[in-house]
Formats: sequence, structure tokens, C-alpha cells
Amino acid sequence: MTHTESRTQRDRMVFAADQLSKRFDECVALDQVTCSVPRGRVVGLIGRNGSGKTTLLRCLQGLAAPTAGRATTFGVDGMALVDADLARIGVVHQANRFVPWMSGRSHLDFVRSFYERWDRERERRLVDAFELDLRQRIGSMSPGSVQKLAILTATCHHPEAILLDEPAAALDPPSREALYATLFDLLREDEPAIIISSHQLDDIERSVDWILCLERGRVVRDEALDALQERYARWRVLPLPDGSPDGALKGNLREPWIKSAIVEDRGALLVVEDAETKREAFESRHGVTVDSQPLRLAEMFKVWMDERPSDDRPRRDAVAAPKGSQR
Amino acid sequence: MLITLERNSGVPVFRQICDQVRFQVAAGVLSGGMEIPSTRDLGERLGVNPMTVSKAYALLEQEGVLERRPGLSLVVRSGVRGGVRSAVGGTERGSRSRPDAETTRELRHEELERLLRPAAIAARQLGVPAKDALEVFRKVLRAPEADNHERGVDR
Repeated sequence: MTHTESRTQRDRMVFAADQLSKRFDECVALDQVTCSVPRGRVVGLIGRNGSGKTTLLRCLQGLAAPTAGRATTFGVDGMALVDADLARIGVVHQANRFVPWMSGRSHLDFVRSFYERWDRERERRLVDAFELDLRQRIGSMSPGSVQKLAILTATCHHPEAILLDEPAAALDPPSREALYATLFDLLREDEPAIIISSHQLDDIERSVDWILCLERGRVVRDEALDALQERYARWRVLPLPDGSPDGALKGNLREPWIKSAIVEDRGALLVVEDAETKREAFESRHGVTVDSQPLRLAEMFKVWMDERPSDDRPRRDAVAAPKGSQR
Repeated sequence: MLITLERNSGVPVFRQICDQVRFQVAAGVLSGGMEIPSTRDLGERLGVNPMTVSKAYALLEQEGVLERRPGLSLVVRSGVRGGVRSAVGGTERGSRSRPDAETTRELRHEELERLLRPAAIAARQLGVPAKDALEVFRKVLRAPEADNHERGVDR
């Protein structure tokens, strides 16, 4: 029933980038990015400042032309999207430039006139959920209120493709909850593809099913959050009561799947990838017991940032553990 | 169905749903033939993508905890089943002829085993011998008699 239905829809790609590169003069904003997002998926786009998140979102909606490669939405090149395509896309920009003398009400009335499928019921619901005062002029609204207005502007026309560039940056916690609840409503009603960029990794972890992580314009991770959560772990390693003389672990942790290590004389804290497949062998080789705990997205993110090639950033070895040795 | 999610626990949401449904089936809170909420309804209630719920349901169906009635929604599978771990581990236990009570008991033991595994790791890390650990568990159960021990923690 709905099961098979959504399965066929899952194959329908909404956003795609293929070897997408974007250069601004000397600066490489995107470097051969390849990724795709089908309907019904919520992608958390994460990365440090200047990693290329906004540029990727802009290429997908045709606000920036690729230097090389392609960026498509509904299979159409971003730069070739026509009005009918754009009417199926909803966007929250990082900085919203709305007309300052308009009230929230007249802004929404104005925007609505462009869309055939504008949903006044959804509009009312969101105004309530966000406790937004539409009588206020945009110029005198708080950044949070403008952001709420932007979210309404981006979602009330039943878009099938939604791009949100740090939509929650100015929102207080209840409004952030309302935003994410809204996204799930949209998913149930229209099954759109959603890309949401954010630095609030805890929020992202609560709300998305997929992680796309960029660093220096390159894709660092493009994977289901579930799969990441099951692969990564934090291990508390303690020696068996009858085994492991002091320091047995030291200098013995060079395996590439050990991502970071704090080793003390009688134990260690490790961050590991492929946790479950490695555990038993590790325990018997080192004569230790492992207590494995899940790793949060924010901690994974740290691992990925440390994985950068050392030639362009030698910081990695400079960070020393307070006690004992680091890797 | 009583489900509560820990959103920043690092444990995948679909797995949290699976574990809690399986536990409630084992505990008899959800009984055979009972209809479970649709993926949309549960998704709405929990504030998660309906696809996450459908992933959890698919896994539970594969494990034999839920079954899809032709033309109907998913229900809790009643009576015999192949054993929860068998679908994952790949060894079919062929318990098709077992009576209800037997499979329920089996499912309960599997759930308890899953929940005790962290305690077992803690015991090893603390260097508490198995015999003493069982003693502690018996104390926790408030069942100091030896015969209760045998019935409760048989292996």
C-alpha cells in the first residue's frame, strides 16, 4: 500500500549535483560535488563556515552558475529553471531581504498572489505555531520573526523541493521545535525533498535522516544518519582484571578505524568507526573489555574535521591529550 | 503503543522504535492480532519522518514480531514465530509448532538478555566474577532463594 507507493517515489530524485564545481576568482567554493536527494528525505547539510553549503544551495536553485559540472532540481539545470519549476520549490535564504515597510500580513498576501497552490490553512497553522504577529512591519520585526515569516513564505505553497539555509539561526528553542514539527507535517502531506543547512548539530541530529557534510567545497560524508549512528561509537576500554600490564595499549592503536584515543596507564577512551565488527578481536588481542556507547553527531563531526589531509592543516598532531598520549 | 524517543542519544530512531515495540510485545502490552498505528500516525505522534517509522516496522516484520495482513495494516503477529533473533542472525529455529506460551517465554528471555548485556559488560569491567554478579542480580530481583535463581536466570 503506502509502503510500495513511497518506495517508487523514493527513486525519484529531486536534487542532484554531478561533479559540481564553483569558483569565485581564486577561491574554490565547491570542488566536484556529487550528491542527490530523493523525495521524502530530509538532508542535514553541515560543515564549517565557508565549506560551500550556501553555494551548493544557490547552485541548485539557479542563483549561482556552476563553473563546471551540473546542479539540477527536478532534473532541470538550476540556471534553466522556469517559473513553473520554481513554483514547486520553497527556499529560506540565509539573509532574507523582504520589503521593510510591508506588514507581515501584506507580505504574505503579496507572496501568495504568485502561487496557485498557496494553502491558507497551512499559513494560519504556522502563524499560530510560531506566534507570529502579522500586523508588525517587517522593518521593525526581530530577526526571529523575519525568519518565521521566511519559513511561511517558503512552505505554504506545497513545495516538492525545499532548501533551507540556516533557517533556525535566529529562532528560540520553542520556535525551532515548531520549525522541525512543520517539516514533518510537510513530509506527511507532500513528501518533498528537504535540504536544511545548520550549525546546530543537536537539532540536525534530531530531525534529519541523512547527513551531507562539506569541507572546503568537498563532500566529506554523504550517508544515512542511522548508518552513521550504528557505525561510530565511543569505547571505554579497561584491562581485564587478570591481564594487561601497564601501558599495553600505548603505541598500539594505529589502526585507521580508531579515530581518536586518550590512553592512560590502565585504560583508554577511543572513538571508533565500524565499532561492532572490530570489538571482539580488539578485546582478545589487547586483553581488555570494551564498553561501547553511541556517538553523537557533534562528536562525529569533530572526527571528520580531524580527518582532513594534514598537508593543508597541521593542527591535528598539535592537540595533545591532557594526560597520556594522543594516538 | 507506548513509545518515547531519546533524540540526542546517538541511538538510531528506528532502532529505538523497534526495541520498544518488541519489548511491549514480549511484555504482553501489545498482544497478537492487535493493530499498530500507521507509519503516518506514529510519525506524527513522535515527530519523525514517516519513513523512519516504516523502516522500523519493516525490520519488526522481518523479525516476525509484526505481520502484514493482506489488505489490512500491520498487526502484532500472534502465536508461533521463528524467534526474534533468528531473522537477524540467519539461523531459523523452526519453532513453528511451538505453543504460544513457549514463544512468549522465548521472546521475553531475548528481551531481558538484550537489556542485561550492558550490565554484563559493567560486571566484566568491574572485575566482578559471574557468580557474584548473579548474586547481585538475584538481590536486585528480590529473590534470594536458590530455586528462584534457577528459574529466573537459566542458561
